[in-house]
Amino acid sequence: MTRSRLAIALVGLAAMLMLVPLLWVLALSLKANSELMADTASVFNGRFTLDNYRNLFGNGAVFRWISNSLIVSFGMTAGVLILASLAGYGFARLEFRGREMLFVIVLLGLAVPEQAVIIARHQMFSWLGMHNSYPALILPGLSAPFGVFLMTQYFRAIPKDIDEAALLDGASRFTIFWRLLLPLTIPAQATLGIFTFLHAWNDYWWPLISATNKEMFTLTVGIASTQMNFAQTEGLGFLMAQAVFAGAPMLIVYLFFQKYIVQAVAGAAGR
Amino acid sequence: MRALWLLPLALLAGCSDAKPDKTRLVIQRFFGACEAEYGRVADIAGAEGECGIMTAMINRFEAENPDIDLVENIVFWPGYDQLTAQLAANDAPDLVTMHGSVIPDYQARNLLEPLDADLAAIGAPPARFTSAARAAVTVDGHAWGLPIDTWAPLWHINLNLFRKAGLVRGGKPILPRSPEELYAQAQQFRDRTGKPYLVQGAANEYAGFTRNFYTFVMQQNGALFRNGRANFRTAEGRNALQLFKTIYDRDFTTKNQDYSAAVAGFLNGDGGVFLVGTWMVGTFDAKSRETSGALANGGYTVMPYPRLFQRAATFADGHNWVMPRNSRRTPEERAAAMRFLKFFAGHARHWARTGHLPAFQAIIDSAEWRALPHRDNLAILATTAQPLPKEVRRQFPLETIVGTEAASAISGAKPIDRTLSNMERRVNDVLDNL
Repeated sequence: MTRSRLAIALVGLAAMLMLVPLLWVLALSLKANSELMADTASVFNGRFTLDNYRNLFGNGAVFRWISNSLIVSFGMTAGVLILASLAGYGFARLEFRGREMLFVIVLLGLAVPEQAVIIARHQMFSWLGMHNSYPALILPGLSAPFGVFLMTQYFRAIPKDIDEAALLDGASRFTIFWRLLLPLTIPAQATLGIFTFLHAWNDYWWPLISATNKEMFTLTVGIASTQMNFAQTEGLGFLMAQAVFAGAPMLIVYLFFQKYIVQAVAGAAGR
Repeated sequence: MRALWLLPLALLAGCSDAKPDKTRLVIQRFFGACEAEYGRVADIAGAEGECGIMTAMINRFEAENPDIDLVENIVFWPGYDQLTAQLAANDAPDLVTMHGSVIPDYQARNLLEPLDADLAAIGAPPARFTSAARAAVTVDGHAWGLPIDTWAPLWHINLNLFRKAGLVRGGKPILPRSPEELYAQAQQFRDRTGKPYLVQGAANEYAGFTRNFYTFVMQQNGALFRNGRANFRTAEGRNALQLFKTIYDRDFTTKNQDYSAAVAGFLNGDGGVFLVGTWMVGTFDAKSRETSGALANGGYTVMPYPRLFQRAATFADGHNWVMPRNSRRTPEERAAAMRFLKFFAGHARHWARTGHLPAFQAIIDSAEWRALPHRDNLAILATTAQPLPKEVRRQFPLETIVGTEAASAISGAKPIDRTLSNMERRVNDVLDNL
């Protein structure tokens, strides 16, 4: 009993330590920039202000950037779920020539970092005249080797007896996929959906160079653009308010979906 | 679930805001966004700070030019990744803010439009610029931009501590005229105040080392670059590094502070002289008008770097408006861009309130500008501020190489001669592989 109490105390202490930087960011976001420039310890003097948040919300473009981030994140998540599910089903259940080779090629995509293809990708979207558009922000994220791998493994784990019974009953391949197998993959879909949404929401580099018109900025690019040249010194409070603002949606998502996120992380690690 | 997937497509359909009856002008700039405070402000004279003044100027231009649909892209400093991407996509803005040190990188690749005739046509020919501003935009005999300002590192001085140290005469700070005088004054300062003479942001911040190195080599008439290649293994280079190594070894400077900590340290009276650029003049001057604090009651002034060697010189850079090439730009859009540049040149005196040095000599000579706090001290920079030669490309990455190497010599991690050798080799590696 004593040992378990000690463990709980240690875990609680570790959790508090993890919280300190977040609380520090929140506290700084409620301080005047001029005070922080002279001394960040002024956070303890009790004088707080909402000016940084007022300045953030006073920029009308912020709501456009949130909207863009939502469109891109939901669009990418939906696209990845559709494509990865179809591909996973195909690799797990359908027999076709070159399947194993194709699967290996898809998996090789996991080894190619984004930095290696960014110039070619940029040129391609440039030739297509698609920069500064939602498709340009969404489409590159749809090639998701991890998603295909995850869904393939998940479909493989479902007993084939289900397919065979349905085939005997005259069901088509699509009916088997759509009505029988897909509902069984909801946990995997949740895993993949959460990871894809988080990736899309936090992505900075590709939106930075593809969305150069501020009306097409995502939230990450937009709030970075509002920083002054010496933001970390002259606008520290504003910078922290931006961090809180950008992180808040993810925090809310986590609060509501923490059960699924924990399952997703555990599932992805175990698979 | 199906409806959710269709939502993005539905939202996609409703996103277009073209204004076909107006000429579209796209300008791209850094200096931050401050729409909450200045989003509707068109009174330029009432605006403060880089962001405020820039935003008010753009608002005023929009108000006075209703036939132009001005699209303002505000980028995270310095924004060159985005610009490069835009140029690759032939979707470059009509006007972009660009450092003078970066202009040759784009000009050499034929990515900028020369503006000689346009500048003359809008009444802002290069002859009206200061020599520093003219040098910033001139490459191969052509002007490639409208200069916004010149900035240089300065000696920001805590006059209250200087008085305590006995280094004020007639209300003016006594500045050194040689390295030996600097050491003596720094020793006197330490003896009487118990604090280091210099405040420097030296941790994770290499630009300051580079600016100091360039400045004091320039003061010895040293040639930092010859025929576009680094030339650091010189007596002048050695002297410049030795100067700051001695300052470091004898504890005449604060140590291990990053930029933010150094700003806070100077505001809190940690030392006598803060080596930082023109952009902090307004902030420190405002602090000196308060009644409490280390700079209170007029306890602040600012001077160019003192002349410690043969001649007065300070390394400088500056901000400029340039026009990237864009084959899709129409004559009407180009004309709108020129109207913007003419407007900006006509209101350049307002930008001078940021603390940066004006780009137009007439403004520096004006009583209005001289009446601004400390500007009389800084006017000399119009002739002593000196950018690197234009044939030196990739000046931003070179700054990091020079700064990291200089830092290792000053801290004693590497002998000065080996540092200069490494610095020169690494810089030439970059320049040889352009």
